Amino acid sequence: MANAVIRIENLTKVYKGELGQKSVVGLEDLRLDVEEGEVYAFLGPNGAGKTTTIKLLTRLLYPTRGKIWILGRLNTTRESMKHVGYLPEQPNLYGYLTGVEFLDFIARIFGLDAGTRKTRIGDLLHRVGLSGKGKQLIRSYSRGMLQRLGMAQALINDPALLILDEPMSALDPIGRKDFRDLILELKKGKKTIFFSSHILSDAEMVSDRVGILKEGRLIHTGKLDELVGSQASSIEVTFTFEPGAFPPSDLGVTDALFQDRKVMVRIHREEDLPDLIHRIEAKQGRLLSVVPLKKNLEDLFMAEIGR
Amino acid sequence: MRVWTVAWNTFRESIRNRVMLNILLFAIALILLSLVVGDWSMGHQVKVIKDFGLSAMSLFGLLIALFIGIRLMVQELEQRTIYIIASKPIQRWEIVLGKFFGLAVTIAINLFLMALTLWIVDWVVEKRIDLGLAPAIVLMYVEILLVVGFALFFSSFTSPTLSAVATIVVFVIGHMSGFLRDYVQIYPDKGFHWLLKAIYYVVPNLENLNLKSTVVEHLELPPHTFGFGLLYGLGYIFVVLFLTVSIFERRDLK
Repeated sequence: MANAVIRIENLTKVYKGELGQKSVVGLEDLRLDVEEGEVYAFLGPNGAGKTTTIKLLTRLLYPTRGKIWILGRLNTTRESMKHVGYLPEQPNLYGYLTGVEFLDFIARIFGLDAGTRKTRIGDLLHRVGLSGKGKQLIRSYSRGMLQRLGMAQALINDPALLILDEPMSALDPIGRKDFRDLILELKKGKKTIFFSSHILSDAEMVSDRVGILKEGRLIHTGKLDELVGSQASSIEVTFTFEPGAFPPSDLGVTDALFQDRKVMVRIHREEDLPDLIHRIEAKQGRLLSVVPLKKNLEDLFMAEIGR
Repeated sequence: MRVWTVAWNTFRESIRNRVMLNILLFAIALILLSLVVGDWSMGHQVKVIKDFGLSAMSLFGLLIALFIGIRLMVQELEQRTIYIIASKPIQRWEIVLGKFFGLAVTIAINLFLMALTLWIVDWVVEKRIDLGLAPAIVLMYVEILLVVGFALFFSSFTSPTLSAVATIVVFVIGHMSGFLRDYVQIYPDKGFHWLLKAIYYVVPNLENLNLKSTVVEHLELPPHTFGFGLLYGLGYIFVVLFLTVSIFERRDLK
């Protein structure tokens, strides 16, 4: 708790129905701590409550119940946002301003002095790959450029905590790589990052811990390496055999793929491996490879969501 | 400080808006046209020019107030640009006041340019500048600010179309307050008179801010009439902004 940058207790959000419509529970009894320097990925299908949580963190929504502490302060105060950077999902920025004017406007809200504003704006534009585009009106920016400028505004106050809502959803593969690199660079700089995503491969590459949200409830949370990295979920065995040496049923496995003389089978229990190798050798088969396949975040996610 | 940052940005947004610029140019063209309209009047050229000019200022000032007042707030909410600002270390009241002051400066500059045009026209005809029009222009400015206040108020909780309709209704009723009061007095037994009475007390009497005929006709303008109008308008602006802030502070930004 001492180092909890985000602390959420019993957070619930109920959206009241309008004109006779039913109320909808957006988030139910969320409890969560995010530690200093951690990269926490908040995962879940559409409508699971990820954006609701982020909007509650950033004071855009008011909770029905529960409390949030950010950097040790209740987030009901203006000061709690001083060291927070926030990037909304697919940000809309002021089209009538240039990139530099927009960043300057945001920097002024943080009360940065003229010298700091100038230096930081130049640095950030360079860092997000918008050098030379700062004098352009934002309305001429592409979706990817908007996302990059959005990231620059989130970093303008050199925040201790970054809250990013689907930061990679509007980006092309190069943009996503740049973003991942930026997050990893920020992680090295001991920043705490809380982000939501539905791109699991990206989340897996950068996060230390994940939380999986389903229908407004946190159904799973834990360290990524504990959840997906330590054990193999299946083993892929590839070998060749002489034509007609043995039919597939002799392998004792159902998950097999045949291509000419090559066979690839997948087993799900490590203890079945010696027996399989023994059968292959007994039929004069030639073993080509044995590859343990680790469980990935997608497997975990699908298992949890499908439960 | 943050209020002024938002105000400056609001002002910058307004002056970069082509529609507002077009309204201003049209208003200036119309005030210049009063030279021709005045020419048609029989011996009342000066009076017609001033009357026409002040009416044009009032109408186009109102159009700008409606157009940018509603648009600025609703656009923030609909385009979700508000997410970026409201999540920063800024209070919601600072955002509302910043928007209001930014609009106030924009409208002041617009009215000043229109007034300048009217005084130039006046100088062309009368070979003098009638500074006696100033009190009417000041109260016109207060009236437009009050309309902006109502536009912000309505757009803080309803759709742009409804906000525009509601603001126009307030403007129209505000100029019919005397009629409402007389109607209730003449027909006190009508079933809905309580409603008219309520409207009479809630909606500001905008005629208190209308000195156009007084200054055009060169009628006597007691200082307390101007002072009362000024305090009345500013008081109402304060109340409307207070209500807007109260609603906006509690509102979920979905």
